[in-house]
Amino acid sequence: MNKLEEINKQAALNTSEALSKLIGRPVDVEIFRAEIKKVEELSPIIGPEEIVAGVYLPITGAIRGASLLIFPRETAFAFSDLLVKREPGTTRKLTELDKSALKEVGNILSGNYLTVLSNILQVKIIEHAPSFSFDIFGAIVSQIIAKFAQEAEKALVIEIEFIFKPVAIKAYFLLLFKLEEIEAILRRGDGT
Amino acid sequence: MADIEVRMGEIVIAKSADNLIASGIGSCIVITLYDPKLKIGALAHTMLTDRRVLHLKRDALDAISSSARTWEGGDDRRHVIRDMKYVDAAIDSMIKKMVTQGANKENLEAKLVGGANMFSSLESDIGKDNILSAREKLKKEGIKIVGKSVGGNIGRLVEFSVASGIVTVKIRF
Repeated sequence: MNKLEEINKQAALNTSEALSKLIGRPVDVEIFRAEIKKVEELSPIIGPEEIVAGVYLPITGAIRGASLLIFPRETAFAFSDLLVKREPGTTRKLTELDKSALKEVGNILSGNYLTVLSNILQVKIIEHAPSFSFDIFGAIVSQIIAKFAQEAEKALVIEIEFIFKPVAIKAYFLLLFKLEEIEAILRRGDGT
Repeated sequence: MADIEVRMGEIVIAKSADNLIASGIGSCIVITLYDPKLKIGALAHTMLTDRRVLHLKRDALDAISSSARTWEGGDDRRHVIRDMKYVDAAIDSMIKKMVTQGANKENLEAKLVGGANMFSSLESDIGKDNILSAREKLKKEGIKIVGKSVGGNIGRLVEFSVASGIVTVKIRF
C-alpha cells in the first residue's frame, strides 16, 4: 500500500471514530478515489450548475492551503437528516443547525487528515474555523480556484463515502496545498 | 442561434444571434461589451485582477495556465480567446477584437456580473478587487457601465443575447 493510501486509510478510520461518537451511531468512512488534479480542472468534478453545500477551512502553519468538503444538495439534505436525527427525507432546506452540523463534519474530516499529515511530516499544521456556503458548485469552486491558482497549482481530490448502514452519503474532499508541499508529503511518506 | 459556453479564463466575441453563457460565477467577474448599433457582443469570464499578477514570477504564471500563450480561434460568426484570466488584459483584448470585427468603440456599453464572496464568514477581497478593477479599466477606456449584478454572497449564471443585448442573470433561490 503506498503512503497516500495509508494516509487516506488512517484519516478515514479516525474520522469514522470521531463521527460515530458525535452522532451516537456507527459511521464508516470510505475513500474510494484519491487523485491529484490541477486547480483549474476542479470545476468538472461536479456539474458547475449543481447546487452543493461547501465547508471551507483555511490551513496555516508549516503547510499553507485549504480544505473544501462538498456535498451535492440532496446528499447534504440526507446527511442533515442523519446528523440531526430527523426522519429520512425530512430536510428540504438547511437550517442554521444543519449548517453547523455539516461544518462540524468538515472540521472533523479536515482535522483528522491534517493530524495524520502532521504526524508523518513532524510539523505543525493549523486548521482554522470553517466557513459554509450553499450555492452553485461552479461559483464556490471558482473562488477557491481564483485564490489558489496564484499559490497552489494542484489539489488532492478525494471521493469519500460516509456510510450509515445501509445508507451511503457521497461527498468530495479537496485538499489544496502548493505542489511542492504535496510532493514533499508523498516523498516523506514513501521515505524517498 | 446557439448557446455558447464561455468558461473561466475565456472571451467569446460574437456577431450572430448567439447566446453567450457563463455559469458558476462566484468571485469571478463577467464583463459583457456590446455595440447595440452593429449588434456585436463579447463576454469575458475573468478570475483575477492584473495587480495580483505582478507578484508572481513568469514561470509560475506559465505553470498555472493550461497553455502559456493566448489561443485564438473561431469562425466568421464568433471568435474565442482563451487564457484570459485577468480583468485588465481581458478588457483590452475584448475591445481590440470587437473593433477588428467592425464594432465602434464609442458605441460600446458594458455590464458586470459577479465579484461575490461565496463564504460570508470568510474575509476575501478577490471578488471586490475584480469589481473595482473592471470599473476602473472601463472608466479609463471611456466605456459606460449600463448594468450590473455584483457582490454579495451568491453564485450567478449569465446569459447574454447578442441579438438583443439583454443580459439575464440567474441565481439560486
